[in-house]
Amino acid sequence: MSKKKEKPKSNLPMLIIAGVLLVAMIGGWYLLTRPASPTASNANKANSAPAAKKNATIPPNAPKGAQPPTQAGSPTAAVVLEEFADFQCGSCAAVNPTMNEIKSIYGSKINFIFRNYPLSMHDKAYDAAVAAEAAGMQGKFWDMQNLIFTNQAVWTRSDTHKQAFKEYAQKIGLDIARWENDTLGIAAKSRVDEDLKRGRAIGVDSTPSLYINGNLVPFNEMRNIQSMRAMIDAELAKASQPAEPQQ
Amino acid sequence: MTDDVEIDDDVKMPRIPIAASLVALVGLADSVYLTASHYTAEPVPCSLIEGCEKVLNSEFAVIGDVPIAALGALAYFAAFSLALLTAFHYPRTWQLFGLLTAAMAAASLWLIYLQVFVIGAICQFCMISALSSITLFVLFAVSYFLSRGKKPVSAESDETAVAN
Repeated sequence: MSKKKEKPKSNLPMLIIAGVLLVAMIGGWYLLTRPASPTASNANKANSAPAAKKNATIPPNAPKGAQPPTQAGSPTAAVVLEEFADFQCGSCAAVNPTMNEIKSIYGSKINFIFRNYPLSMHDKAYDAAVAAEAAGMQGKFWDMQNLIFTNQAVWTRSDTHKQAFKEYAQKIGLDIARWENDTLGIAAKSRVDEDLKRGRAIGVDSTPSLYINGNLVPFNEMRNIQSMRAMIDAELAKASQPAEPQQ
Repeated sequence: MTDDVEIDDDVKMPRIPIAASLVALVGLADSVYLTASHYTAEPVPCSLIEGCEKVLNSEFAVIGDVPIAALGALAYFAAFSLALLTAFHYPRTWQLFGLLTAAMAAASLWLIYLQVFVIGAICQFCMISALSSITLFVLFAVSYFLSRGKKPVSAESDETAVAN
């Protein structure tokens, strides 16, 4: 083996590395600042069911969450849907139209409960949950919830997300002074915290998580209105069957 | 006439580090995309396997306030740089590359386990990243074992033999 002579190192690799860094930064900046794609929220197509989860049922001794819960339909309905969602989660916004459709189709036949589950990784999710709960104190939780989800791509990227929530509050006709006061008070935050406690006790580890009569719905089923209807119809059919006579 | 060209050993680029730098670029692009998606909260399109959002919105997608994808992007950039420097015969960079990619591959195996057994959903973009990490380590391992059967490292050089 011939002895190699030390050669001065070329600057070329450093130039390539700097170039790659620059391209990565420009690419990242473009992805962060590009307008939200209207079709992106419809891009997830259900193809396969995820594996069974360890938190597939709600334990009966789990904390109750905010009382009374944020609820649509009939509180006495035999079929209870309980959704844990984070306002800053893309999937939660994506499934919201399906959840609205379910509420619309079944009305008082179901008891639809919304639970706040703001994940710590989403810096504005807790504020959004409090804004929605404060709207709920004036009977307009669902209006606020829809506006927050519909405009998620806007306020998520904004440094003035609280101002955006205030605009939504004005849009749905809330008493703004009262709403602002409620967003700062303890009551709305406590409701969010109570929901969080319930979710954590159940073992909710991602959002959205939906339970029908205490059983976890696979994520891919949540986007599929036909699957959702089949599951709810099955629960309604079970509830309508006459009780077994006591021995 | 032959296409074979005699290349001076000093300027010939080892093929494995070049391949590794290309794989690292794939991982870097994937991680940058996932990091941006984390901050924009835009759903990640999954056409093959369901569950990207489920995984990316799980508690395992972040360490503190830092998305794992951002850490991945830094790691891939470092891996790319080390592989490229190795290709240009910089000393000791391949050993560092080996240490880095061993850690990346171990982390990737753990994340695959979390997806399959804990979260119960598969994120294909996360799998691309995991496969990139594992491929990088496999490339290092292959070069290590190939180089063991080759010439010993010169006493005058700090460079570790890198199999072509």
